[in-house]
Amino acid sequence: MQQGPGGSETEVTWEDQQNINKFGRLNNRFHELEDEIKTAKETNDNLEDASNELILTDEEVVRFQIGEVFAHVPKEEVETRIEEMKEVTSKNLEKLEEEKESVLAQMTELKTILYGKFKDSINLEED
Amino acid sequence: MAAASSSSTSPKTTTERRGIPGAQFVEDVETYLSQTGLDVNSALAFLQERLQQYKLVEMKLLAQQRDLQAKIPDIEKCLDVVATLQAKKGTGEALIADFEVSEGIYSRARIEDSDSVCLWLGANVMLEYSCEEATSLLKKNLENAKASLEVLIADLQFLRDQVTITQVTIARVYNWDVHQRRIRQAAATPTA
Repeated sequence: MQQGPGGSETEVTWEDQQNINKFGRLNNRFHELEDEIKTAKETNDNLEDASNELILTDEEVVRFQIGEVFAHVPKEEVETRIEEMKEVTSKNLEKLEEEKESVLAQMTELKTILYGKFKDSINLEED
Repeated sequence: MAAASSSSTSPKTTTERRGIPGAQFVEDVETYLSQTGLDVNSALAFLQERLQQYKLVEMKLLAQQRDLQAKIPDIEKCLDVVATLQAKKGTGEALIADFEVSEGIYSRARIEDSDSVCLWLGANVMLEYSCEEATSLLKKNLENAKASLEVLIADLQFLRDQVTITQVTIARVYNWDVHQRRIRQAAATPTA
């Protein structure tokens, strides 16, 4: 345990504070993204199941949920709609995964900078 | 006199944002304590109280964010329905739909061609609109909701930054105090 002037008193500059703030913000965004990705994956799975069910059914008219009601829609139209929805969801999922990668990369970079300056005085791991 | 609330002279202090006071960044703990004229314990108490206030505001904003995030898909669903009705208008055939009468009980409705829809505006008020008017009203509501959400998210980010700054300041004041005590103790017992 050092008792010299540089002991437990590392100076925190405004730039350090901004880095810490940015890390906090990125961490929050990372958790939000994880939740959003989970929801998007579930929606994707549901749509997959739905289109599989469609192939198996022999009814001509399917009750398709629009808003709060189930409208009677011919099978082909439902297939088209589900395909469109699947496209939208997978594009969204891709975008979310990309953002997650970028957030992780930025966080790793900030970790290097902050650990470099503060070593043991700072903890940036998940609790 | 450069007070803590002047954001033009010191770029390190953001005054406030929509009623949320900004946290003052502390360059040097000793100067900060002499400037505010507080002793360590009062300073820590003040900072802790600030932290609690921030937490309260954060709860409020998070609740507002949840509400907005629920409202947006609702509006999108309504837009979907109006669009479907409009699409059916040209064909001349009626739209048959099953809707919920009560929990677990559904009934069938036959929706003929219609030029108008009724929109629920809240407060037990429902107005009839033409399809185009309804679409534009719903679109406007959707945009407003999305814009409010963005502002809210920015507010939350600002708030979280202030919380982080305050937490770091608390840690530094505490460490400085521990450091001071150690120095005093070392000075009080000069024999090594």
